[in-house]
Amino acid sequence: MTTAVESEPGAKPGPARSGLVAVSRAPWWVRYALLVAGLAVALWLPNGLYPAVAVDILCWALLAVSVDLLLGFTGLMSFGHAAFWGTSAYLAGIAAIKAGLPFPVAVLTGALGAAVIALPIGYLAVKRTGIYFAMVTLAFAQMIYYVANKWGSVTGGENGLQAVPRELGGLDLSDEYYFYYAALPIALLGLWAAWRIVNSPFGRVLVGIRDNPARARALGYPVHRYKLTAFVLSAFLAGLGGGLFAMGHQFVSLDVLHWTTSGKAVIVVVLGGIGTLWGGVLGAALLVRLEDWLSFSGFEQIGLVTGTIFVLAVLLFRRGIWGTAVDLVRRWQARRGRTED
Amino acid sequence: MRRTAGVAAASAAVLLAAGCGGGGPSGSGDSKLTDDKIVLGVLNDQSGVYADASGKNSVKAVEMAIADFKAKYGDKAVTTNISVESADHQNKPDIANTKAAELYDRKGVDAILDVPTSSAALKVADVAKAKKKLYFNITGATTDLTGKACNKYTFHYAYDTYMLAHGTGTAATQEGAKNWYIVYPDYAFGQDMEKKFSAAVEGAGGKVVAKDATPFPNDNFSTFLLKAPTLNPKPDTLGTMQAGGDLVNLVKQYNEFKLRDKGVGLAVGLMFLTDIHSLTPAALAGTTYTDAWYWNFDKQNREWADRFLKETGTRPTFAHAANYSAATQYLEAAQSAGTDDADTVVKELEGKEINDVFLRNGKIRAEDHRVLHDAYLAQVKPQAEVTEDWDYVKVVKTIPAAEAFASPSAECKM
Repeated sequence: MTTAVESEPGAKPGPARSGLVAVSRAPWWVRYALLVAGLAVALWLPNGLYPAVAVDILCWALLAVSVDLLLGFTGLMSFGHAAFWGTSAYLAGIAAIKAGLPFPVAVLTGALGAAVIALPIGYLAVKRTGIYFAMVTLAFAQMIYYVANKWGSVTGGENGLQAVPRELGGLDLSDEYYFYYAALPIALLGLWAAWRIVNSPFGRVLVGIRDNPARARALGYPVHRYKLTAFVLSAFLAGLGGGLFAMGHQFVSLDVLHWTTSGKAVIVVVLGGIGTLWGGVLGAALLVRLEDWLSFSGFEQIGLVTGTIFVLAVLLFRRGIWGTAVDLVRRWQARRGRTED
Repeated sequence: MRRTAGVAAASAAVLLAAGCGGGGPSGSGDSKLTDDKIVLGVLNDQSGVYADASGKNSVKAVEMAIADFKAKYGDKAVTTNISVESADHQNKPDIANTKAAELYDRKGVDAILDVPTSSAALKVADVAKAKKKLYFNITGATTDLTGKACNKYTFHYAYDTYMLAHGTGTAATQEGAKNWYIVYPDYAFGQDMEKKFSAAVEGAGGKVVAKDATPFPNDNFSTFLLKAPTLNPKPDTLGTMQAGGDLVNLVKQYNEFKLRDKGVGLAVGLMFLTDIHSLTPAALAGTTYTDAWYWNFDKQNREWADRFLKETGTRPTFAHAANYSAATQYLEAAQSAGTDDADTVVKELEGKEINDVFLRNGKIRAEDHRVLHDAYLAQVKPQAEVTEDWDYVKVVKTIPAAEAFASPSAECKM
């Protein structure tokens, strides 16, 4: 977050913008401290949590970041990211089962496949915005869901793909604890790529398109092509998460393509903070941990708890956890600045 | 002064820790338990569509089994430290995967029970194989559990698609249903059921006039229901492979169109007692289906069901009875083996012939770990004959254990 996005006078201040600006204003040592703390937590995670849950957090973090790339930074609300997450999971699973590929290669195959199918879907979807964009992405995701359901000879239908091997050059990765550390570099690479995209000149054009597409077009930017590129990149990241998810659980089922998966991704982003990138990671960690805890709690209405939290987040923390925290820090800084003056 | 107190506190803590580590519950002298205790894990749906049919009351059933076991053996029990852990997999295989591994690894579970939803059931079989711990599947329907996904540690206990399809298909055809119209939901369970059901009907001399796949999930079955009486020859029975919410919708619409009055009876692939309870017996009167167990079948069942009613406030479904039975048989096997070591207990169970409240003429087939037992063709009573809450069906026919299940699959390689 080294670049400041200047707010245009007169433009409506969105929650996303404030988060972006605030982090970029933070002094360098704060940013490095956050980075080091984040890495430390990532390295410690499977010691504090059940390792399989830690792997899930990595996967969902990638999906959340991919959704945020569109929702927070391009202004496109995708309600069909399960299509890319799921397609990649199936491709990675099939690649590992049929071709016996090592797991990082299988994950990459899946992610590339997700990017490829995102091309035609994105081409059609980015011509619309707002609710229409959301509906088009949802429609395509549902289509892929039904294809996977019907194509039982390849996808295993409702029973899914079982016993997906997890190979990496003779290393024994059957223990989730070690698999977490094998998967971590891939996840970190994905997160770094998202950060790099957001902070590149390309990313700044995306933010410009989000805030004022007409002006971006007037300035000579091919808006649709930018949106399509963002869409495909986002699908690739979602695919990275989906592929890892398939490897983490060593199976793929229809759930990965179900619309509730897309919905959960959006919830995670809203919870963490739209347009904050790292908020999605935080949201994923919290939601996955919460669901894990709830399933042992003996409490029967799990949907009620997560639903209530979502409603509260929307009502009280509209900027999400990360956004609200950044906002508080910024206010505190501003007040301190005033008293020092 | 403060320092002395600190040292005292520290040494007390050390002593306490040592005490806990060294002491602990001491089992009987010759016990060969791997970890001082036996823990049973119930992994099922406690918040979704199967919550009533199995869910929390299955945990209660397993608790009853443990209490009975302790009462039976007292001090001679292999251990008195037996407990239950449970988790809600929400019918999602990824959660089932994580929870199953966590139950085995972190909660010290020796055997996992229940696990509805085929994809989750199959995934847990994988986990059981990897962790080398026992797994009794009760509420999963797929025959893959004793087919290509079979393994040394997995037992398929209560029912499967073959039992349901052959029970209803064969028996109902023999009872007089000659022309069938079959509708099935278009996903793995439905497709599998349709194939087996059609084979059973034709094998028994019946005829499948037509069959249609319906979308899944679906709430409008009118196209299929209106078509039924117009087929030629006119079917006398509508065989539905729908389950859960789809079944509820289909039955309601079947009644709206008054198909029974038009001479088209209803046969259902999979139905739980709780489904009849929520649909009311009036809506289902005359419907035939295959049940793995029925609470009011005989005195032994009824006595157990009375105890269950006292514990939970409802009558048991076959899933509850099967969970009780599986927990009991696991504990009995551990008792006679004198250990909870998984391989030894598996050896103890293989080939064992069992008669208990759930298993009649029961046998654990060694080749594929299918648990064979009598099944029942049941028919929902007309409302006028329902004299007691939950006593909704009469057993028309007992399907002997030898006929109820398929012979071992060639795909199963232990």
